[in-house]
Formats: sequence, structure tokens, C-alpha cells
Amino acid sequence: MLADQMTPMERAVALAKGEMVDRLPCNPNVANGVARVYGCKISEFNTSARTIADAQIASYRRFGNDGVRIFTDLFPWAEAMGAKVSFPEDNTADLAEPAIKDISEISNLQPADPYKDGRLPIHIDAMKYLIDEVGHEVGCAGGIVGPFTNAFFLLGIKQLSKLMFKNPEVVHQACEVSLETCIRYAQAIMDQGLTPTISEPMSSCTVVSPKHFREFGAPYIKRLVEYITAKGKPVTMHICGKTAKIWEDIVDMGIAGFSIDNVVDLKACKEQIGDRVKVLGHVDPSAVMYGGTPADVRRAVIDCVQQAWDTPKGYVIMSGCSLPVETPFENIHAMMDAAREIGYPVNPDKLNSML
Amino acid sequence: MTDTQEKLLQSLSDCVVDMDEDKATEMAQTYVDNNFNAYKAIDQGLADGMERAGKLYEEEEYYIPELLMCSDAMYAGLDILKPHLDKEESGDKHRVVIGVVEGDTHDIGKNLVKIMLETSGFEVVDLGRDVPPMDFVRKAVEIGAQLIALSTLMTTTMENMERVVEILKEENQDNIKVMVGGGPISPGFAKKIGAHYSKDASKAVQLAKTLVQEAVPC
Repeated sequence: MLADQMTPMERAVALAKGEMVDRLPCNPNVANGVARVYGCKISEFNTSARTIADAQIASYRRFGNDGVRIFTDLFPWAEAMGAKVSFPEDNTADLAEPAIKDISEISNLQPADPYKDGRLPIHIDAMKYLIDEVGHEVGCAGGIVGPFTNAFFLLGIKQLSKLMFKNPEVVHQACEVSLETCIRYAQAIMDQGLTPTISEPMSSCTVVSPKHFREFGAPYIKRLVEYITAKGKPVTMHICGKTAKIWEDIVDMGIAGFSIDNVVDLKACKEQIGDRVKVLGHVDPSAVMYGGTPADVRRAVIDCVQQAWDTPKGYVIMSGCSLPVETPFENIHAMMDAAREIGYPVNPDKLNSML
Repeated sequence: MTDTQEKLLQSLSDCVVDMDEDKATEMAQTYVDNNFNAYKAIDQGLADGMERAGKLYEEEEYYIPELLMCSDAMYAGLDILKPHLDKEESGDKHRVVIGVVEGDTHDIGKNLVKIMLETSGFEVVDLGRDVPPMDFVRKAVEIGAQLIALSTLMTTTMENMERVVEILKEENQDNIKVMVGGGPISPGFAKKIGAHYSKDASKAVQLAKTLVQEAVPC
């Protein structure tokens, strides 16, 4: 394993100033796999802020990833608004029941209080531990599921999908109350000194049409992004699956960075929006990171860097989505080591010779 | 086939593509009132509509919500037509056990594959979602299925797909083929665990047809 010459924080600060660094930033997005590094059950994240923070820190100490984040699953916000979530002992939580079963209950939905409802207070405490203990050396983020995706969990994925055709007004109502929860939580993240990042999987063109996204998703997500940027924090957003048809909409929201799935054309993304946003991505988390060998991982990282190293607004080597929990550690090391081997400034001839 | 029947078949197919649940019910009723063959209405009307919707999905004209609306229209038509199916017309069907692997409760993709398999003449046993690997194998052996279809949307549950293939081998049941699909699944992953990969619901039907033709008849 190669050694870093700078901390992630030193690297980020220098890059922002256009100064020399040791390598490109790299974030494998270990997610709940940090439980495997730290040696706890994933369900411990549901009750212990200390464990969430310690597992993140353990993973950071082991791999040296550029960025740590408090984010355990997609459902804490819907849960805090009344949805039921199932908690497997050692796997990621999942939605069991939406917050309301019938649209007649729509007015019962209330925005969540981040300091009181569901698991949100646990996540906020975890943020405090994280920033106190490693905030001086690595960027700390609080993950948040965007208002559109969260609305699906409030009304149920199937039901909300159909309501986009049958009762648009109810969908807007759900998104509005969902947005209020997101804004309160984003404020709580910033109050702890961390930076919010937004995940919006249901916005993907693999799920909903660009037309529906523009009608029901984009207006609310934009208001969340505007709220955060108005407080002086840059926003990075991740959308799984295909997104090319909505890139311009996403950029128009005013985000600073966009994290893309491995099904997206990284080079095309750089060429179309890389002059306005930082691009992050997109090593395949499943076939390469989980299923491949360290040599496959190294090759995939080089391939990504070849496509996107010259993104005008900057490029971060990242996985296309959160890594599967059982991703081999050696592959995560291989990803970080490939970034170290490539070095900085990136030399395209060297990249070619590495293959 | 009369002109009226042909027009009604086309109309049933269109109702599905146009996501028109009420009209699908109405057209199916008109079709039945005319004493036309119900199996044909499913095969050349509703299933044809789902196939066209699947193509529109592949072409990125339709998305998941559109497919859900189409399937609602299809089910509305099916409800009217089903009681009028002659038994022998259902014929000898290939059997499939389908479900979402343990740890995942997303079932939109699985439901679409199920609908399309059913309308393509398969007998489908649906174990639902969050299904333990052993349950797939037990059910498949019990009903003499040639095929197990596994779906997941979550990377965290992919190992359970591999477990199903392993159990089949351990129990000497590996003549039962396994097909996998869903968001995070890649052809590489399917190959690695010894399963067959399907990119989406309409591809799943084609794959299932190929796999049962290869399978040794039970």
C-alpha cells in the first residue's frame, strides 16, 4: 500500500487554490461496509451515534478516503415522518411501510424535527463526533435524501408513481412537506459544521421520465440546493442510474459537484457539464469493486481518470454508487493505490503506459 | 379472424400502451360479449401491449411509472378475460419461481417480469419479496420448476443470489436454471455466480424462453 503525502483536507484546500497536490481526491464510498472495517453489526448504526462515527473513522484510517459521511440508508427522513422501516441485524435498513397508506391522510404528514424524530438525532450526534475527531484532516459530510425521492417513501413508491398521472396535486403536496424536512435537516447538518450532500435516486432517468422529473422533482430539489448554497456551503449531488437527459436541469440547480453512476458516459458528462460542476465517478461498484480483482479495479480507475481528469471544474475518483457491504478490502485499497500511483498533475502519457 | 375481432385486439393492445385502465376494461368486456377467443385477447391484445410498452421503455420513451400504469391497464383487461379462458388452451406450461432476494423489498421490477412471463405462457409462482435463498430452491423442487428468477435493486443483497445457485448445486438440483436482474446486476456478476443475466423485463421473457427450451424436460 502506497502512502499519502497530504491529508484529504490539505489536498482539498490546495486543489481549490490551484496549488500542487500529491494526487487526485478519491472516495470509494464505502457506506455501510464501514461496519466490516470497524467490526460491528450494521444494525448498531440504528441506535448508536458513537458507533456510526467510529466506524466511519476506522474506515478512513484504514483506506485514507477523501471524505467521510454520516449516511446509513435512504429512509431516516421518511421514518421520522411516520414511515415504517425494517432493520435487518447486519444489513442495510429498508422501507417496510410508507408514512401514509391513503392519500386522504396527506394532510397528516408533518415535517420532521431533526433533533427529535426517528433516528435523525442519532445521526446528528454522529456528525458532532465525526467533525470533532477528524474534521481537521478530512472533509465531513452529512448525507440527505432529496425531497422528491423521500416523497416516494412517504406515499409508497408504486402509489406515488401512479399519482404523478392521476393526482399531480397530491404529489406536489408530498414533495412540499418532504422539502421542509430536508431543509430542516440540511440546516442541522450545517449547524454541526458539516457539508450536506444530496442523494436523489428516484430522479434517475432509469426510474422516472425527464418530464416527470421536471414537473415534480427538480423544483423542490432546486429549492433545497438554493437553501444550502445561500448559507455558503457547496452541494454535491448523487443520482443513480441514467442521468444524461437531465444534466442541464441538475446544473441549473446551482450544485457544485455531480456524482454519476457507472452506467453514464463519464467523458460525455465532463464535456457537457464539466465546465460548470465538478464531476465525481464512476468505478462500477458491483462488477468491478465487488466482483472484480485488484487488477480490474486499477484498470477501471485509470480508465475513469483518462476520461475525466481534465474536467475544468475538477474531478474526483469515486465509485458509481455506494459499495456493496461485502466489497473486498483489497479492492478498496487497490482503488486508493491507483489514485496514488497516477499522482498529480495527471499525465495522460503515464496513464497510457500504466495500462 | 373478423375485422371486429382484429380491431378489438388492436384496441386492447393500445389501451395498455396508452395506460388507459377504464378503456381496457370496456374493450375486454366488448370482446367477451362478442364471444371471441379470450386466450387470443391476452396473447395478441394485452401481452402485445405490454411488449410494446417494454420496447418503449428500452427506447427511453417510457419509464417505470409509465410501465406501472400500463400493467394496471393490462390487469384490468385480464380480470375481465380470465374467467373466459378455456382450460386446455392454457396448455402445458413451463414453471418459474420468482421473487426478490432476502434483504430487499423493492418489487416493481419483479412484478413486471412476472406479468410478462405470465402473459407469455409461463406458470409463475411468486414468492414475493425479501425471500430467503432456501425458499426459492424448496419451492422450485416442489413444483418441478425449470427456472428460478431472482430480482434485486440493492447491491447489499447480491450475495443471496449467489447463495441460491450454490444451494441448487449442493442439492444436485442444478438442472434448474437461475436468471437474475435488477439495478445493480451486471452480466459479469451473473456469470461469476453461474446465473443468466437479463437486462430488463422484456429481455427476461426472451431469456426465459431460451432457457426452458435448453432445459431437460421434467
